[in-house]
Amino acid sequence: MTNIAVELSGIRKTFGGFVALDDVSFTACYGQVHALLGENGAGKSSLMNILSGLYSPEAGSIQINAMPLSFSGPKDAVRAGVGMIHQHFKLVDKFTARENVLLALAVDRKKPNTQEVHQKILRLASRLHCEIDPNRIVGTMSVAERQRVEIIKALALGSRILILDEPTAVLTEKEASSLYEVMAEIAATGTCVIIVTHKLRDVKAVAAEAMIMRQGRVVATVDPKVTTTAELTTLTVGTEIPEPRRSTKPSGDCVLRIEGLSGRDDAGPLKGTSLQVRSGEIYGIAGVGGNGQTELVDALSGVGDIKDGQILVGTTSREWTDATRLSSAQLLDLGLAWIPADRQNCALATRLSVQDNYAIAHIRSGIGSRFWINRRAIRKLASQAVAAADVHGVRSLAQWVGLLSGGNAQKLVVERELSRSPKIIVAHSPCRGLDVRAAAAVHGRLLEARDNGIAVILISEDLDEVLAISDRIGVMSNGRIVAEFNAPGDRQAIGDAMVNHV
Amino acid sequence: MTRLSVTSLMPSYTLEVRMDNPLWRRVLVISAALVVGLALSVAILVIAGVPAENLAGEFAVTLLDAHSINAVLVQAAPLILVGAAAAIAFRARYWNLGLEGQMIAGGVAATAMSIWQVGPEASRLVVMGVAAAVVGAAWVIFPTILKLRLMVSEIISTLLLNYIAMYFMYHLLFGAWKDPRDSYPYSPEYKAFERLPELWHGIGAGYVLALVVVALLVWLTQLSRFGFSLRFVHDNPNFARRAGLWVVGITFSSVLISGALAGTAGFVVSASIQGRLTQAFFTGYGFSGILIAFLARNNPLMVVIVGMLYAILFVTGQNLQVFYQVPFAVVQLIQAIIVICIAGSDFFLNHRLVRRV
Repeated sequence: MTNIAVELSGIRKTFGGFVALDDVSFTACYGQVHALLGENGAGKSSLMNILSGLYSPEAGSIQINAMPLSFSGPKDAVRAGVGMIHQHFKLVDKFTARENVLLALAVDRKKPNTQEVHQKILRLASRLHCEIDPNRIVGTMSVAERQRVEIIKALALGSRILILDEPTAVLTEKEASSLYEVMAEIAATGTCVIIVTHKLRDVKAVAAEAMIMRQGRVVATVDPKVTTTAELTTLTVGTEIPEPRRSTKPSGDCVLRIEGLSGRDDAGPLKGTSLQVRSGEIYGIAGVGGNGQTELVDALSGVGDIKDGQILVGTTSREWTDATRLSSAQLLDLGLAWIPADRQNCALATRLSVQDNYAIAHIRSGIGSRFWINRRAIRKLASQAVAAADVHGVRSLAQWVGLLSGGNAQKLVVERELSRSPKIIVAHSPCRGLDVRAAAAVHGRLLEARDNGIAVILISEDLDEVLAISDRIGVMSNGRIVAEFNAPGDRQAIGDAMVNHV
Repeated sequence: MTRLSVTSLMPSYTLEVRMDNPLWRRVLVISAALVVGLALSVAILVIAGVPAENLAGEFAVTLLDAHSINAVLVQAAPLILVGAAAAIAFRARYWNLGLEGQMIAGGVAATAMSIWQVGPEASRLVVMGVAAAVVGAAWVIFPTILKLRLMVSEIISTLLLNYIAMYFMYHLLFGAWKDPRDSYPYSPEYKAFERLPELWHGIGAGYVLALVVVALLVWLTQLSRFGFSLRFVHDNPNFARRAGLWVVGITFSSVLISGALAGTAGFVVSASIQGRLTQAFFTGYGFSGILIAFLARNNPLMVVIVGMLYAILFVTGQNLQVFYQVPFAVVQLIQAIIVICIAGSDFFLNHRLVRRV
């Protein structure tokens, strides 16, 4: 029917004793979109890294256009027509779009002609129904636009096999829909498109065939059109994962009041945010990213820059403490805790050990005095935490925390912050980049915290997440809370509030 | 998972990044590097005219001769102190390039105590040492404030303060502090009770002081809460702040300690090796201190070992110059080769060869 573009057979890959891929075979055809579905750590990214020349397998063969090939590096793969769009884009932010494409062509030792490239970019962009100005500097483009530049770059290099690694992780719902159209368009021109993802929505929307991997092995190859979401979930995680049910326990008194919070710039994101949160409730803040969410979290974490307004935290004796300009240390003492969106930069010390990254929350108590840090106590605390939070991938508590996968690292962070016994916890995009199982675990912890009387603020761009577990929902737009809803929210009304600025 | 990059050396081998490194492999690789460096040095020395069979004898002399051992220990003390000073600053991500200026500040302070005869004879040495540490720390306060308040790069500010310290010292040595006995621009000799004595079989008070300081640093960096917090400040200051650590205070403390240690090194050089304040007593220590800290990976215990190695190289180099007329440039070359070999051994610690399919 259609001709085979890529055939990987019997691939085996290990990393120092850990088997990432075990006898994996994969076939993809020209003119179709194939999906590789699996949780983090399933091996799908490793498989594609082998196809794009970054790793070499210990056993197995790669055939492109029915010719067996062996790559000594990414350049060989590019020459064979394989183009990969990584999760973290390989673009030079200070260059224009055209310069980035020229750079890619030059690296491949083709002699690029600037005018030709300029025209080529315009042609490809129009074919993909998007407006990309080759003269624009990449750093000024939105994430979705940068992704288009990456795609155009790969196509300009002559890729007949296009691999996209978790492409919707950084996109909004609308942008993702638009990307599905682009992918269908590219496949229609005869290119083989492979999408690596853990989101079922991607698979259902665009793939003609899906290969599901789990723990380095192929579990099944299915047609997404005839497979239900529940079936796909079961195949991906091995069991059914029910979404944690929202609790009906009533909430208590108000413990956090934010009134008229505004940032330093007049043009700054926060413009008079006001909200209240009670103990024992989850207040979800929905909204498109860039409307002041990050600045709000910064203010609540002690690293914000506030000009007007107040943050008031309630104490047990029904008094209010002004927490607007306190430092992180002072806010921690007041009973706040936070789970930041940028895990690597703001929630972990990646080159320090798992046990130290957990114990830092207990540095004042529980792990020793000012004069002697008790390593045995640290190890014990950390091992209990790792077990309680079901963190996988910890071969030794002394290993670097940066080696943990995203989901496992996040579970550790959540466990750490909850172990402070906070009164108020701020979770900013806590499930970004996490697979189904890990996200369900995090939601379970937040609901548990809520039932224990903690006030939870959940800020997320994923409307499904906010709707699933929040008791009250605030919509943040243009630096303010513009609408509030009680659970279960009306999805349509909330969506409208998100996009209509008042 | 970290991305691994694979390049090919030969058709059937590729390089991969290692994920872990047990202690035995680290010791093995560094020892191998040392052997390679020594082998290259031997080759160079033979080419430079030193008879091969004498070289073995030469190293044995350095290691076994009482006079040479004494020289090594005396030379090791300030090297260990300067290396420790650099290490503690680097642990706070503070690139203290003003070690020599802080040494000068310390030497000047100690000499001031001697000239002004501060304190009774019995405790004069202690007064000198304390003054040296305090003034050494004071010499680093200004650039630190500039960095923490105004984000002025300490690389430039500490480096330039070296020159200010040096010229101020010249002003003293050529002026008020010039030795009246021979009008030479160095300070009057320290009196007997103002010198660091030899304590026991060649081990001087300076060396003991250095070891005590290192022991305190080991406690500070590995055992105390301060050291625990410091590791977070070093790895991710952003997270450290959000975790409630007082990043500014921790950084400031580390840098002050660094200045104090460098000042003490200046005192040790003046009071044990020179016996007075001289024009060039500090030369070369700044660069050596930085290198020692890097090779020791900012670990205080390793600073002692690397400092001793440096001292051995230094004394052996001196012997080679004196007895075999090997030019100083060749001695420096050998020191550099050994340092490069050890620093380059990192590559083998972090990568391995894998046969490709």
